[in-house]
Amino acid sequence: MSTTTPTHDDPSSSSPLLEVRNLRTQFHTESGTVVAANDVSFSLDAGETMGLVGESGAGKSVTARSLLQLIDPPGEIAGGEVIFEGENLLDYSEKQIQRVRGNKIALVPQDPMSSLNPVLTVGEQIIETITHHQGMERDEARAQAIDAMTDVGIPDAAERIDDYPHEFSGGMRQRVLIAIGLSCQPDLIIADEPTTALDVTTQAKILDLLNELQEEKGMGILMITHNLGVVAQTCDTVGVMYAGNLVETAEMHELFRHPQHPYTRGLIDSIPQIDTAYDELPTLDGAMPDLTDLPQGCNFAPRCEYATDACRTGGDPALEPAGPGSSRAACIRTDEIDLRQGYVPDDVERTEKQVDRSGDPLFEVKNLKKYFSAGDGVIGNLSLSRNGGGIPKLERRYVKAVDGISFDIYEGETVGLVGESGCGKSTVARTALKLLEPTDGEVYFDGQPMHEMGDSEVRSLRREMQMVFQDPHSSLNPRKTVGQIVGRAMEKHDIATGEEKRQRVRELLERVGLSASAAGKYPHEFSGGQQQRIAIAHALAVEPKLIVCDEPVSALDVSVQAQILNLLNEIQAEFGLSYLFISHNIGVVRHICDRLAVMYLGKIVEFGSIEQVFDTPFHPYTESLLSAVPHADPTRKSERIFLEGSVPSPLDPPSGCPFQTRCPKKIGEECETVVPDLEEKEAGTGHYLSCHLSIEEMSEHAGFVQSEQAEQSEAQHGD
Amino acid sequence: MYNYLVRRLGFMLLTLLFVTVITFAVTNILPGDVALLILGPNATDQSIQALQAQLGLDKPLYVQYIDWVLGLLQGDMGTSLRFDEPVAQLIGEKLGRSLLLATAATAIAVFFALPLGVVAAVKQNELPDLFASMFGFIGISIPIFLWGLVFILVFAVWLGLFPTGGYVPPSEDPIGTLTHLVLPASAMGFALTAYIMRMTRSSMLEVLSEEYIKLARAKGMTQRVVVLKHALQNAIIPVITVVAFQFSYAFGGVVVLEEVFFWPGIGRLTLTAIQSRDIPLLQGCIIVVALIYMLSNLTADLLYGYFDPRIRYGGDD
Ligand SMILES: Nc1ncnc2c1ncn2[C@@H]1O[C@H](COP(=O)(O)OP(=O)(O)OP(=O)(O)O)[C@@H](O)[C@H]1O
Ligand code: SF4
Ligand code: SF4
Ligand SMILES: [Mg+2]
Repeated sequence: MSTTTPTHDDPSSSSPLLEVRNLRTQFHTESGTVVAANDVSFSLDAGETMGLVGESGAGKSVTARSLLQLIDPPGEIAGGEVIFEGENLLDYSEKQIQRVRGNKIALVPQDPMSSLNPVLTVGEQIIETITHHQGMERDEARAQAIDAMTDVGIPDAAERIDDYPHEFSGGMRQRVLIAIGLSCQPDLIIADEPTTALDVTTQAKILDLLNELQEEKGMGILMITHNLGVVAQTCDTVGVMYAGNLVETAEMHELFRHPQHPYTRGLIDSIPQIDTAYDELPTLDGAMPDLTDLPQGCNFAPRCEYATDACRTGGDPALEPAGPGSSRAACIRTDEIDLRQGYVPDDVERTEKQVDRSGDPLFEVKNLKKYFSAGDGVIGNLSLSRNGGGIPKLERRYVKAVDGISFDIYEGETVGLVGESGCGKSTVARTALKLLEPTDGEVYFDGQPMHEMGDSEVRSLRREMQMVFQDPHSSLNPRKTVGQIVGRAMEKHDIATGEEKRQRVRELLERVGLSASAAGKYPHEFSGGQQQRIAIAHALAVEPKLIVCDEPVSALDVSVQAQILNLLNEIQAEFGLSYLFISHNIGVVRHICDRLAVMYLGKIVEFGSIEQVFDTPFHPYTESLLSAVPHADPTRKSERIFLEGSVPSPLDPPSGCPFQTRCPKKIGEECETVVPDLEEKEAGTGHYLSCHLSIEEMSEHAGFVQSEQAEQSEAQHGD
Repeated sequence: MYNYLVRRLGFMLLTLLFVTVITFAVTNILPGDVALLILGPNATDQSIQALQAQLGLDKPLYVQYIDWVLGLLQGDMGTSLRFDEPVAQLIGEKLGRSLLLATAATAIAVFFALPLGVVAAVKQNELPDLFASMFGFIGISIPIFLWGLVFILVFAVWLGLFPTGGYVPPSEDPIGTLTHLVLPASAMGFALTAYIMRMTRSSMLEVLSEEYIKLARAKGMTQRVVVLKHALQNAIIPVITVVAFQFSYAFGGVVVLEEVFFWPGIGRLTLTAIQSRDIPLLQGCIIVVALIYMLSNLTADLLYGYFDPRIRYGGDD
């Protein structure tokens, strides 16, 4: 913090910027009162970044919104104090608090796609904040808005200020939201999951931007996130929330080094690291309790491996100082238990999964293409264009969502597909299974050419190929019981009927970790993780050979995510299944896949075994992607490789190498004119790369790989 | 916007073509021989045949259709059998009156419905909302002509403020036109208000729960700015569709109201045409009503573009 903002004149430098005392916010619902923030207390200094983490529904956003009295009915702030500049914000009238909102305390919301008003220009949305709070003239406010946009790294801010939100990409919209937050130079920014909706490469840029701006302007940041990687990269202190309670607060390094609450330990362990190999992820079994029906004693007791009778019968443990440092924890046994040791994957024991790749692959895709017609045409993909103002002419326009993709999957193998949003991952899956008609290409299943088959033949093959989607809630029929959903799949493909069917449904449900009685319930009676288990049981019901998983854990909390990943691994070993696993989460992919394809703009840029893709030589895109992943370990800060600009439109892809517009290693003309082939750079390795660089060049400057060793020594040093 | 408009216009022309086919087909299936109808039951076969030849009714149907469409394109809608006047002229007279009534009714409706809908949404489930809902319910469930009768009884018969009915052309007496317009326009506007208000309310409710409204509040914007600037501009977009639809309904669909107020508009003309099997006139009326319907929809499309930049710029190369 080199400069402090002029608006913040704090008489006693020792008192914190914000102090929250015993905040209690509750919602009156039909099933009872939900206390979403229960007795929450913490403080935040100027220039400090505090993280607020926890599973979804833990009360993070409610806590943050309560600070500004932004709780709508049926919610109410039932008690506590929010001391800011010596005054209790909760005592403020609506008029008074309006002068604080956006002015002294700004909120940066989560979803860049829906948080900007679509009918107002981005400039207007920034300017109105400034004129409203600072009583400036419009011209002056406009200049200040352009400054704010420039500050957050929007190129050509002066020209783009009159554009509408839909003309910006997701990452740019998030920058606009931050610019709105910064526009009145607030003392405190509340950032509610500011990067959750973004790709890793964009996320890395936005987080760095926030860090930089903070250093420059010295405001405090309250960073709400469920991603411990984000915490490790940005925060000074951390608060962990569970079921409406703050269960631990600690200095950030201390939190990772020596967590004081068993829940914190569990959260840290559940995250698959991108540089560690596991057989099985450690899991936090169970799920967060329903807030209308909290357990008697410690809320975490049902999932806590250290729980004793005292935990279950006493009241809610209070947040009290714990451990040698400044940490506080809400656990009555915190002094007795030592949580310093995290989960160590026993690398000696790691049973290398053997995939036999000598025979024919189970599933093979050759040169698959899927073009969509650009939907804005006059009729179909025929579009009127008037280049240079001449006579309009009709043109054909395509979105090349998938543009010549080849890969294969062997029996018992998991092949992953990673890439940023919009690169065509889901379209590959849908087209390969013929849920969408491919534009071109060949697909073989068990040696049979699917691309030559008619609909009915494909339909009978579907039994062998199942899909599991990101959102289990919308993929399960809400009006059928779980038993009917799973049983119907068996009947449809003549696997079992009657009592045999029911017996097998019960077995399957137990296999995926649900009780047999789940068969009689409806999907909405289950949590997200349980619904995903049902979706998996449904896929397994027809005894498939291949399951395509499209972001199967992206909608789930880390602890639940680990449970589902383990389940997928177990049933693969048991049934000899193959998976095509689509994800944008690199840690997850690293954990579950045997081989991995990295996609960019409808093409595969690198394909190989996990070891090959995660080690040198790197495709320049893979390299930047890996470097952008925030490590959930503060001792391993990686050197990020920032990509210029954003992914080009698939309507108008670049010439030559698709990555050439952003590639930090671009070698000039060749990249701009010649499309690189996806080829084995060393014959026989099975490691395919699509780049004009030599192996040596692709192995240089792999900064984030080398820094690991260096950081490890620093980690020991730090203790 | 460019592609969008071209597509819209093309679509409109296609629809219009379709409407002419349907109109022509249906009016030709209607029972009753036109020549017989004109000449009366005592006509001789010869005179009937002569008249048919004169009217072109002896030609094959498709030739009759093409002749008719070609005529339409030149503004010639044929001659009314009943009035023995050019159809275009007959419709032209009533067109202005019907447009006047429809415009006035729609304007009244929008004037009351928008604020009511907005207030109802902002005060959801509170007294103003309940009042507005009840008002809407009454407006929708009581037939439009009944409102007409009530209005005549109260404002014309009891209070004597306005004439009970009839029409005075503005060229003769502009004030008279207005005083004659007030009651029918209000009665119709009253019924339309209910629909538009309900649409405004539900559209506002949806928009008010959007994330960008939450952000506007979090920026410290006052309730006024949040509602009128941030929410209304978004909420109005679906309302436009309803208003366009209501306008065309008010234009040609409320024969009964025209009857109640002796307002000689397109509605009554259509009814006369049907009753007297005046096929050229009927065809003309249907085409004009369809055209007005399409034009009001086109206006709605243009207004979308005005309010929604995503449409304004989408597909514009
Ligand atoms: N039905 C469609 N019509 C037109 N374009 C489409 C259609 N479906 C997908 N696309 C386009 O194809 C491209 C790839 O889409 P796809 O959904 O496969 O990406 P993805 O990598 O799975 O993205 P995400 O991670 O966001 O799910 C995108 O540019 C998208 O806009
Ligand atoms: S109080 Fe008991 S149950 Fe709760 S976290 Fe501590 S040890 Fe676990
Ligand atoms: S071909 Fe050129 S632009 Fe493409 S990835 Fe390789 S170096 Fe970069
Ligand atoms: Mg996808």
